[in-house]
Amino acid sequence: MSYKDKIKTDLFPTIWCPGCGIGLIMTQLAMVMDELGLDKSNTVMVTGIGCTGRMGAYMQFDSVYTLHGRTIPVAEAIATVRPELNVIVVSGDGDLTSIGGNHLLHAIRRNPRITVLCNNNEIYGLTGGQTGPTTPVGTKTVSSPAGSVYSPVNLQGLVNTNANAFYAKTTVYHQGQLRKAIKEAIEWPGFSFVDITSQCIENNGRRIGFPSANEMLNYFKKEYRQAPPGSTQLAYHQLGIVKGTPATAEPVPAGAGSGKGSGEA
Amino acid sequence: MAKRLLQGNEAVLLGAVKAGATYFAGYPISPSSEILMAASVYAASHPEFRFLQEEDEIASANAIIGASLAGAKSFTATSGPGFSLMQEAIGYAHKLRVPTVFVDVQRVGPATGMPTMPGQGDILQTRYGSSGDYTSIVFYPSSVAECYEYTIHAFNCAEESESPVILLSDAFLGHLNEVVDLDTIQVPVVPRTLEPLASGHTRLFSGVATYPDGEPATADGDEFIRQYEESKALRLQVAERYAFYEYGWNKDSDTLVIAFGITRRIAQPLAPYFALFRPIRIWPVLQDQLREIAARYKRLVVIEGSDGQYASVVERVLYRDVYRVPLLGGRMSLEAVREGLDRIGLLPRELAETAVS
Repeated sequence: MSYKDKIKTDLFPTIWCPGCGIGLIMTQLAMVMDELGLDKSNTVMVTGIGCTGRMGAYMQFDSVYTLHGRTIPVAEAIATVRPELNVIVVSGDGDLTSIGGNHLLHAIRRNPRITVLCNNNEIYGLTGGQTGPTTPVGTKTVSSPAGSVYSPVNLQGLVNTNANAFYAKTTVYHQGQLRKAIKEAIEWPGFSFVDITSQCIENNGRRIGFPSANEMLNYFKKEYRQAPPGSTQLAYHQLGIVKGTPATAEPVPAGAGSGKGSGEA
Repeated sequence: MAKRLLQGNEAVLLGAVKAGATYFAGYPISPSSEILMAASVYAASHPEFRFLQEEDEIASANAIIGASLAGAKSFTATSGPGFSLMQEAIGYAHKLRVPTVFVDVQRVGPATGMPTMPGQGDILQTRYGSSGDYTSIVFYPSSVAECYEYTIHAFNCAEESESPVILLSDAFLGHLNEVVDLDTIQVPVVPRTLEPLASGHTRLFSGVATYPDGEPATADGDEFIRQYEESKALRLQVAERYAFYEYGWNKDSDTLVIAFGITRRIAQPLAPYFALFRPIRIWPVLQDQLREIAARYKRLVVIEGSDGQYASVVERVLYRDVYRVPLLGGRMSLEAVREGLDRIGLLPRELAETAVS
């Protein structure tokens, strides 16, 4: 088997723009799936609305292409009904943290065994590059012509409100680290969130001064640093994995919902 | 089993369990909350039945779709404001062709409205609440025993029609306690047909218009129409097998009363004076039955807990005017029915005298 067997290459070329970062995530995800033995009989993909949401259509799994913002309730229900499955959510930062923010907040609290891969390009790519809750302060977009005003959402802080949860920060430039983060996230016995900084050259990069996707990747290389081993909190532009205490894998009491444990350490 | 005292909302839960439901997700909202509470209690002693109290109705509606795709017969219960929040997901379930059941225990709207008072103002929302075109199937019982019976039918019909089916109730019916013997109600259960997720396929369950292979069909009108007509034909064909209605009372009267849900019960004292047509399948409209029966009567009166939502549908189907008795502001009572009939000059003299005495 090869990781390429996880991808519907007959549907290529994809709808993604040349230089887009999403394909770099799909490749690493496919490699991890190959390594861990994930296949169409033990894994389901759930994707949201946005460019990233198309990934489910390109992979060799049953895939649910949800309404905008609703990946997490769908994924959690699937994991509840079929706890033996690997349920992998792949979506964008706008879908997961803005319109789907309330579901994210509560899934973190309930700690279902689902893996969330967030393609974080810091804007709404598919709709043309508007500002979003992950846009850095000062970034000029088509809906923040004077620069984005508000502080970005603190995803690490949100995820870590549950001491059992898993948070990883990586970028599409750091392919080895991205792969490690995806692998450990899928293996995590509870809620895991991989925050992947990625480039949208067409609807963001070019407008903020990057001539090409390559320059954006080089920017990630220059700007992001590995966090010291054992870090329990990642600083700005630090890469790493912050794991909580794995929730015990005891059977969930009947009627107790889908979660594996509370946030109390 | 012996007769027992049972509440309408509890009967819905028992009907769902009887139909094979194994997943409930919901958010507390009056006057539907007893269904959620009963589901949580049932789940506590039945591990195969999964219960989740969600963060909101949007999550609930999407969760039951995910659960159904994963292989569970699933349902949620809500009331007007929550039902409004679920509309996008209902359209999504129609697009995916996912069997699931939405229960709407109606109260007085719009907005937060009158949370504990009965209304029937969601009739058009059950048909047209989501965006775009789709074919809704909706049932509305009018007794506690029927809450049980038509919940089973709703699940069966959802499986056969591959669509989200809606069961209507109201604050009055949901909180009504009646003596019932559920063993006398035998409805065969339709088994699951949709192959669950991760059965070895690579299907794409997409809200976006796509071709069968998953490629976007977002600009192909022919493909859109092909898929739409196929879904519509299946739902209309299946709905024919669920064409439930009641025709009775004084059939020799020259006036036909049309009432459904709890309103039909409230109007019971009119039985000696008028004929009755009660649609139980609210959508698709029972237009053949309605046309045939209505043709025998000089006058039609629609008594309903909204300002003419179903009356407007009857007028459209029959191309004739109907008298309207709207029961608004939660005033769903015989007194309000009398006042309404009196206003249009159709109150039987004997009933008027009863009212005075």
